[in-house]
Amino acid sequence: MHSSILVQRSVGSELRALLAMARKEWIIFRRYPSWVIAFFIWPVLSPMGYIFSARALSGPDGSALPAFSRLAGTSDYVGFVVVGSILWMWLNMTLWDVGFQLRNEQMRGTLESNWLCPVWRISILVGPNLTKIMTMLFFLTVAALEFRLFFGVQLLQGNIALLLLILFLVIPSIYGLGMAFGSLVIRFKEANAMVFLVRGIFMVFCGITYPLEVLPPWMRSIAMVLPLTYAIRDVRAVALANATYVDILPDLQKLALFALIMPLLGWLTFYFTERRARQSGALGQH
Amino acid sequence: MMSDNTIVEVRELCKRFPKKKTKKEAGFWSKLLPLAGPTDWFMAVENISLDIKQGEIFGLLGPNGAGKTTTIKMLCTLLEPSGGTARINGYDIIKEASLVRQNLGAVMTGERSIYWKLTGRENLEYFAALYHIPRAVAKKRIQELLDRLELSSRADEYVERYSSGMKQRVAIAKALLANPPLLLLDEPTVGLDPQSARNLRELILEIKREGRTILLTTHYMEEADQLCDRIGIVDLGKIIALDTPANLKKSIKQLDVMRLEIEKFDPCLIETFQRLPAVQHVASHDLGVDSAWSIALQTPDSEGVLPEVIELINTQAGRVKHLQVTQPTLEDVFISLTGKQLRD
Amino acid sequence: MMNKNQLSEMSWRSHIWAILAIARKDWLYFFRYPLNALFRIVEPIIWLTPVYFLGQSFATAAGNTGFAAYAGTLDYMSFVLLGAVISSYVSAVFWGMGFSLKEEMDAGVLESNWLAPIPRPLFLVGRTLASLAITTINNAGMLFLAWLLFDFRVSGNLLAAIAILLPMLAALYGFGFAFAALVLSMREANTLVDVSNYLVSQMSGSQFPVQALPPFLLPLSLALPLTYGYDAVRGYLLNTRTLLPIQLEIVILVAFMGVMIPLGYGIFRIIERRCKALGTIGLH
Repeated sequence: MHSSILVQRSVGSELRALLAMARKEWIIFRRYPSWVIAFFIWPVLSPMGYIFSARALSGPDGSALPAFSRLAGTSDYVGFVVVGSILWMWLNMTLWDVGFQLRNEQMRGTLESNWLCPVWRISILVGPNLTKIMTMLFFLTVAALEFRLFFGVQLLQGNIALLLLILFLVIPSIYGLGMAFGSLVIRFKEANAMVFLVRGIFMVFCGITYPLEVLPPWMRSIAMVLPLTYAIRDVRAVALANATYVDILPDLQKLALFALIMPLLGWLTFYFTERRARQSGALGQH
Repeated sequence: MMSDNTIVEVRELCKRFPKKKTKKEAGFWSKLLPLAGPTDWFMAVENISLDIKQGEIFGLLGPNGAGKTTTIKMLCTLLEPSGGTARINGYDIIKEASLVRQNLGAVMTGERSIYWKLTGRENLEYFAALYHIPRAVAKKRIQELLDRLELSSRADEYVERYSSGMKQRVAIAKALLANPPLLLLDEPTVGLDPQSARNLRELILEIKREGRTILLTTHYMEEADQLCDRIGIVDLGKIIALDTPANLKKSIKQLDVMRLEIEKFDPCLIETFQRLPAVQHVASHDLGVDSAWSIALQTPDSEGVLPEVIELINTQAGRVKHLQVTQPTLEDVFISLTGKQLRD
Repeated sequence: MMNKNQLSEMSWRSHIWAILAIARKDWLYFFRYPLNALFRIVEPIIWLTPVYFLGQSFATAAGNTGFAAYAGTLDYMSFVLLGAVISSYVSAVFWGMGFSLKEEMDAGVLESNWLAPIPRPLFLVGRTLASLAITTINNAGMLFLAWLLFDFRVSGNLLAAIAILLPMLAALYGFGFAFAALVLSMREANTLVDVSNYLVSQMSGSQFPVQALPPFLLPLSLALPLTYGYDAVRGYLLNTRTLLPIQLEIVILVAFMGVMIPLGYGIFRIIERRCKALGTIGLH
């Protein structure tokens, strides 16, 4: 055995590799300035259509507001829409971002370079996402401040610790889904259609712009198996209606369960697709 | 059992892929609903066996689509073989894949294996971490490689601004980071201008002189001839010949041709040339000026025959004005083995 | 002097054939991604469902009375659906002109296309044809599903409505030329396109009656000719309360067409010439 090989494997070196991947992701992110538009402009633009639609639906004198209030538990339709919209935007950006992370590397040719390295496969999946999580939290903060400025919606005045807990519990679900997605994308070339389908399902079932009570029972059942449903419901409750920890505890428990299941699903999808990719030679295809 | 200085051992390595349907068969709906199970297989690599000794440069020479890249990808664990086994420095490519990756560095074909939005240095720092090289060691190693590969002056510029040759050198630096005993190079000079390609070949020989083992694939015959200690000629997924370049050339019954223009030539020498044991055929032609003749000798061993011929000419006071020796090339070897040209 | 061996024979027929060839290429490309093609039909339903339920969440016993106070009709869903159909045609022209140009630049095939002896504006128009055809198929599918799921129905004069759409689309072609010029000269047009496309679509009332906009935004909406296109079509088909008398809105649209086509085309020629001088066509 060649004694002068410089590789020295340990848990510490594996963590360092993970951080190097996060750092690489951060450097590249900074060097493509278009994220500025996405982060600062879309939080304001994206809910606009729904907010004005809701304004139109409530009537010039707000005559239809009580109908909405009865179902949603609040007449603040702006805040209601804004919460759903921002969390959906987060999911959408994650699906594109995390979902295409492997595919972009595959097309750039750097996927093989990473695969050649003696690191855990899961590090290649998780490492860059550490940065993505950080940038998304920054995005959510900017969005919340802009909602205050442009729509007069105060999301950060309630129980911030509880809001952070909800986010903390929903992060593994969203990124688990993103990773599962990202793994499938290196297998199937028509990834765009897959993004449209997945985000479409969330858009239709999660009560992004309307209260769940308005859905027929069969759609509500589907909504109850999607983690984003609980996150949206709880953020609305905490930020707009001053809900407490006790009020949302049942939902938090469900979110915790999702937080365990979704990353596992993501890892399993990755594991099997990676094996298939190595059998079919898909790692180097573009 | 692997002998002590065998770095790469391959036994009957195979790779097959399902055959893709043609345009006519794969209509709109069949693409939407994939049919169950492939019906046909395509053998990209079929029963390849070889051993590579420490410190040698081994070349896989063959046309595009011969299976060279597929073989390299299997050896560096990017592609799972369909059959057969291989060991890199004693480690099995399937069961001990991670250890295999620690023992080799690879440069895949094209400019696409490094990050264009990172600088050269940042690329190396990144991969050093992925190769678990301790930070202090990595810093020194990176600077050493940047200096050696003449990248230092632009190490802190984005790779997207580098020339093709520089990008390739960054990729090689990345492969050498962990100081591996084996280097795999897949078509390393493709897309490079002649000067850069020449410089890269010099570098490869330098790397060999350090005691490293190199497996490279190429479809350039001159490159294989210049660099490789031994060559495996690959066609249609199989190794059809394996030997040193010299022996491969000798193996075909193609004769060297020696063409001389000789002034003050004595025609009696023609018979003497014919009687030389290594000479098979002599053609001669009187040029009609200054007793100058053009002589063409066909021989299997031009190197051996030439001194004798020159001496004979000198004893008769003749003067060689022009000499040309044409020897068979590896392309001739390939053609004689397959009936096709190396360049498609 | 013409080379006798040249095979090119220019005529009005050959120009039409060239345009059809471009359209055919786009059509083939579309169907070579079958999953994407299928989703183009399903996707509108995905966007429309939240809108439907939003409407339901404001519904009183008599229906969407709040909405009716603005728009003059209780049929919120049909209002939104018509907006979606018109928006899709607007996008088809925009997409066909500017965005597809960007795609070709990125793929490196623009120069090959530009070398062909076909007038550039005709080339751009050709790009929109397949887009419009696919959009029409999509809309037919969407409206069928909407009729099935959301009880979509229109009562007015369909032909009149289409007749209103035509000058609007023609004007959009003019706008599309100017936009294509912008894409040629800018390296990164994507974000600008996305944002302006979205803003224009919202401000012109594709999803809601513009009367519901806050006072400081309404003038912006009224300054967009597109607003009158959406308004007039809905006026004809749903009997909504229009911003201006429908005949006046039609006049505005025709005037828009009269101005935009030469203006847009002129801008395109100027910028195209500039790009040729600088050698930037084909670079991305």
